[in-house]
Amino acid sequence: MTKELSRNERIKEASAYLRGTLAEGLREKITGAIIEEDQQLVKFHGMYLQDDRDLRPERGKKKMEKAFAFMLRLRIPGGVCTPAQFLHLHEVACTYGNRTMRLTTRQTFQLHGIIKSNLKATMREIDEALLTTIAACGDVNRNVMCNPNPYQSRAHAAAYATAKAISDHLLPRTPAYREIWLDGERIAGGEEEVVEPIYGKTYLPRKFKTVVAVPPSNDVDVYAHDLGYIAILDADGDVKGYNVTVGGGMGMTHGEPETFPRTADVMGFCTPEQAVAVAEAVVTVQRDWGDRVERKHARLKYTIEDRGLAAFRAEVEKRSGVKLGQPKPFTFDSTGDRYGWTESEDGNGHLTLFVQNGRLRDIPGGPQWLTGLRQIAEMHDGDFRLTANQNIIIANVAPDKRWDIGKLVEKHKLTADASPVRRNSMACVALPTCGLALAESERFLPDLITEVEERLASHGLTDDEIIVRMTGCPNGCARPYLAEIGLVGTGPGKYNLYLGAAFDGSRLSKLYAEELDHKGIVAALDPIFAAYKSERNEGERFGDYAIRAGFVAQTGNGPDFHNDTGAKRTA
Amino acid sequence: MAFYPIPNTAPFGQEEIAILNRVVGPATPIQRAWLAGFLAGLDAAATGAAAAATGAHAAAVAAPQPAAPAQPTEPLTILYATESGNSERLASDMAKAARKMGFKPSVVDMADLEMAALASVKRLVVIAATWGEGDPPARAIRAYGELMGEGAPRLDGVEFGVLALGDTAYTEFCAIGKKLDARLEALGAKRVADRVDCDLDFEEPAAKWIEGALKALAPEDADRSRVIAVDFGAKAAPAADLGPVEAEIIELIDLNSSRSGKETYHVELSFDGATPAYKPGDSLDLYPENDPAYVEDFLKAAGLAADSALRTELTKSRDITTLSLKAVETYAAETGHRYVKELLDSGGAKDWIVGRQLIDLVLQFPIALTADHVRKVTRTLAPRAYSIASSRSEVGEEAHLLISAVRYESFGRARKGVASGYVADQLKKGQRIKVKLRPNKHFALPAPDQDIIMVGPGTGIAPFRAFVQERRATSATGKSWLFFGDRQFTHDFLYQLDWQNAVKDGSLTRMDVAFSRDTPEKVYVQNRMWEKRRDLIEWLDKGAYFYVCGDAKAMAKDVRSTLVRAYADVKGLGAEAAEKAVSDLDRAHRYLQDTY
Ligand code: SRM
Ligand SMILES: Cc1cc2nc3c(=O)[nH]c(=O)nc-3n(C[C@H](O)[C@H](O)[C@H](O)COP(=O)(O)OP(=O)(O)OC[C@H]3O[C@@H](n4cnc5c(N)ncnc54)[C@H](O)[C@@H]3O)c2cc1C
Ligand SMILES: Cc1cc2nc3c(=O)[nH]c(=O)nc-3n(C[C@H](O)[C@H](O)[C@H](O)COP(=O)(O)O)c2cc1C
Ligand code: SF4
Repeated sequence: MTKELSRNERIKEASAYLRGTLAEGLREKITGAIIEEDQQLVKFHGMYLQDDRDLRPERGKKKMEKAFAFMLRLRIPGGVCTPAQFLHLHEVACTYGNRTMRLTTRQTFQLHGIIKSNLKATMREIDEALLTTIAACGDVNRNVMCNPNPYQSRAHAAAYATAKAISDHLLPRTPAYREIWLDGERIAGGEEEVVEPIYGKTYLPRKFKTVVAVPPSNDVDVYAHDLGYIAILDADGDVKGYNVTVGGGMGMTHGEPETFPRTADVMGFCTPEQAVAVAEAVVTVQRDWGDRVERKHARLKYTIEDRGLAAFRAEVEKRSGVKLGQPKPFTFDSTGDRYGWTESEDGNGHLTLFVQNGRLRDIPGGPQWLTGLRQIAEMHDGDFRLTANQNIIIANVAPDKRWDIGKLVEKHKLTADASPVRRNSMACVALPTCGLALAESERFLPDLITEVEERLASHGLTDDEIIVRMTGCPNGCARPYLAEIGLVGTGPGKYNLYLGAAFDGSRLSKLYAEELDHKGIVAALDPIFAAYKSERNEGERFGDYAIRAGFVAQTGNGPDFHNDTGAKRTA
Repeated sequence: MAFYPIPNTAPFGQEEIAILNRVVGPATPIQRAWLAGFLAGLDAAATGAAAAATGAHAAAVAAPQPAAPAQPTEPLTILYATESGNSERLASDMAKAARKMGFKPSVVDMADLEMAALASVKRLVVIAATWGEGDPPARAIRAYGELMGEGAPRLDGVEFGVLALGDTAYTEFCAIGKKLDARLEALGAKRVADRVDCDLDFEEPAAKWIEGALKALAPEDADRSRVIAVDFGAKAAPAADLGPVEAEIIELIDLNSSRSGKETYHVELSFDGATPAYKPGDSLDLYPENDPAYVEDFLKAAGLAADSALRTELTKSRDITTLSLKAVETYAAETGHRYVKELLDSGGAKDWIVGRQLIDLVLQFPIALTADHVRKVTRTLAPRAYSIASSRSEVGEEAHLLISAVRYESFGRARKGVASGYVADQLKKGQRIKVKLRPNKHFALPAPDQDIIMVGPGTGIAPFRAFVQERRATSATGKSWLFFGDRQFTHDFLYQLDWQNAVKDGSLTRMDVAFSRDTPEKVYVQNRMWEKRRDLIEWLDKGAYFYVCGDAKAMAKDVRSTLVRAYADVKGLGAEAAEKAVSDLDRAHRYLQDTY
């Protein structure tokens, strides 16, 4: 006898292809919320109902419901958008949002603080900008990432084409999106005919994420995703095919060892022409094999663990009709971004800017991100590219525009030169908007980094690149388990410290110390920095060192993540 | 009129005769006629003749009837134009006094005045308040307009007098009373009592004027043999509990979010003695104290900081913030300050006082001041009215208020409202304050089966919380529709949870909201009314009552004109017909306002 399906499965089933009662809910004028079921469905439309957690304590007293507002997540394959689109989003963020734009760890924008009564207007603006939020969240294939790699423009063009093709092919087909947000016209009997050839009525068991990487850069963290493509370039820099990876993921739950982060396995090789067919097959196998009873066990990474890679590969080959080849050799050097100006074969300039934690806003006395980028967008005729490290690239700047843009960048302090450790740091959003946050992240990391900088300086390590990532809960939105120093919130002001991940993103970290507060984190790291300075080998990375020096055990893969944890050595 | 002293031959002792002379001597004809009736009646009663007297005053215990036949008494029409009830109360006070003096008073609310009827009036007293910025009270607008227009009847031979109510704090002081006074004369009526313009502390001058006016209106030399029927059976009207009472603040919360630019305080009062018998729609007068800091600054500016008795007096009972033209004049007269005189003579004072307070006058034109100067220049500190935001049938022995903090800057000085500042900055839970019930029978709920439409942006929402509570408690069957508006949905939605519950439990049928700062283009309640105009008119056609509460300056006017446009649009009426549709609601007392 089979166990009962998870609640979300029943909601999807009953939703008539993601309609639910969203249209009615939007008409409810005296609450800023929508009903629980619709909250699940609206994710497929690219938004989350949230509330300002800073205000929670006072709301009841003041006879007001929670300070509800929606977060919108754009779908921007490969993170490439035009200046016109940027300006449109900028406008929306300032008119209906909280006057900030958030660059995410998956190459897109999020807008926070949009109240229900402004949702439709916002969605119309987004549509006018030829942008969409469809399937940016939910149990579907999400935004497809692609290395923005401008300096190898030909390889990027090919990789981007693949990413875009997969993204488009795996889009939900339901008319609900246009119906609810744009046209308002319900297609009669729309829910009857089969509108989702790939997904079906209940879509996927869980979220599904796809990326395309172009070595030597692993900026997209290819091992962290359900499905990955590693471009294999020939001698003259053209993409001749992809190594296909499956079964990566970060999310886990504290105290539940059966949940764990996992690095993806390389499943085989396919040609660019076969990429889409393989993607569809991987998706449909996961659709049919994935766990629809236990959501915490529903990601592809668990399907691979349970069924085994070989069986999975066989089924994919069967469904796609593609015989996957032997993986080709490749090497990654890092997961970080290359900052500053670079030039591509075609002579165009590309400026990569570090945006602390991806938050675009005008900071008093600091960088004027919104104003600065707006003025740049007004004169820029290339494009913008968002990176998987929450940064932004002003790409394809014609030689004659370079000087003017450089001036604007300076004027608005957009290159406030950050230390190597800061430039290699990321924090997830967490409080006050994230409903799952157990601790601060985006609002705390900058200060912590300042202290880390001081410690590093005191040991003469200022110029070393060390990857630091923080999240407010174990879901891993900033991919902390792939950082050389990972900090994961466990409760207010408390974090677990993870060490020993590989600089190139190929190896997971290991839990070193639990429940550390601000001081505790610095105190725990300081002696390790000191030891690193004196004991490290030539060019040895901090993550590798932490293992060799015996601070933490090395993590094999997912299931091994929770084994042999704790500090093996304290100084 | 000649005086006939009581002859010494009268069957009274000397000093009794003296006493009688003191009373009868100066007595008016009417008073004398009344006495005659009284004595005759007494005798009649004594001889048991009253046994015959039936019907008329059955209630009266052996009501004595006058022996001499009663003359028809003198008709007197007392017309009042009121918003918050002061004029109305004075009108009924006057009617009582008039009855005593043998008039047959009929008290008429200007809201119900028909021009035709006016012409046939013989004696007319008008007690009129001024509202808005020199406007008539809302309910009086129609009749006032007609009286001022060509359509008004000639009033030749009508004797009249006007009592004007107002507030010197407003530049258009008693404007309506003044205009009516002039208009009646222009229409041919004869002024027999000169107008008096009352400030907020009107009780005393008003009482004086009433006494004088009644004397003046009394028939000059009435037939001396007249006798007035005296009804010994008339019972004294039950005294309404209108005196100030003490209340304890049991809850005090700023309902706006900490991110809001506004502060609106929800205040829960519980009463030591009996809870005032308030009804939904009534208000409470709140007796404030001045801000200690301001009092200090003021005393320093006046060079009287040492006078602690004065400090207490100013804090508790003088209006030391309002700067009126009158105050400036008094200041000049009392202190003889040259420059203030010049300011007045130059005619510049009227503009100079705008946005300024008394302290600005003292600071800008310093001069040696005495406590007495200060007393003369200021008036007594008046209470502020606040709509009651609760229904006794739901909250029992409590009363809730909703008070918006008035804060602004002018001439480089941070200012705050006296009463709202007192509530926001001085009062704490557990403290006591003095309040007085201010009934408003013109803003009451209709029968439980009648539908109601309520428009209350900002603090205008207060009485409607009482309405909805009442309708829930009495499980009224009529439908209800509420329009609310403020700045931001997230930060300024007053009583949001209450409304959500009311809609759930059905005590509120429907609610529409307008938040002006959530979208690029500002949206107000009247915009929502316009969107929903079809339903609105349908409700009204089915007999719904229409209530408006809140800002009088802009909102109330916009709401009214929007309703007129709605009628025009939905029913395809011309401007005039649409206007009439709304004033018909006025006449039918189905368009009710409590605006300020
Ligand atoms: C914005 C972003 C973090 C950032 O600082 O950039 C983010 C923010 C949120 N993530 Fe995430 N995730 C983001 C990338 C990730 C990543 C990294 C990645 O995909 O490369 C992961 C780990 C990889 C993975 O999926 O395993 C990630 C794993 C999760 C999970 C755990 C999923 C799991 O299977 O365990 C949740 C919770 C869930 O899905 O139940 C989650 C849920 C959330 C939510 C929507 C919270 C919620 O469900 O209510 C967060 C919204 C916070 C806010 O207020 O904006 N987010 N989330 C990233 C947006 C990416 C995008 O544009 O789509
Ligand atoms: C029947 C009735 C019911 C009412 N119900 C309520 C209610 O439910 N809730 C509520 O909050 N109020 C209500 N009011 C209004 C209330 O009575 C007071 O008028 C209000 O609270 C202000 O009083 P205050 O003593 O705080 O301010 P005051 O000391 O009286 O000062 C107000 C004066 O300050 C000046 N002023 C204010 N703002 C500015 C500015 N921006 N620039 C320059 N000058 C300015 C104006 O001259 C204004 O008249 C009601 C009024 C009436 C008549
Ligand atoms: C909102 C508001 C506006 C007022 N406008 C004026 C005015 O312009 N001129 C004036 O002399 N009095 C004005 N007053 C004072 C009233 O006329 C005064 O309070 C009067 O006693 C009210 O009498 P009523 O209760 O009969 O309406 C105003 C009072 C309020 C609350
Ligand atoms: S990691 Fe946790 S806290 Fe951070 S954004 Fe994701 S879900 Fe929220």
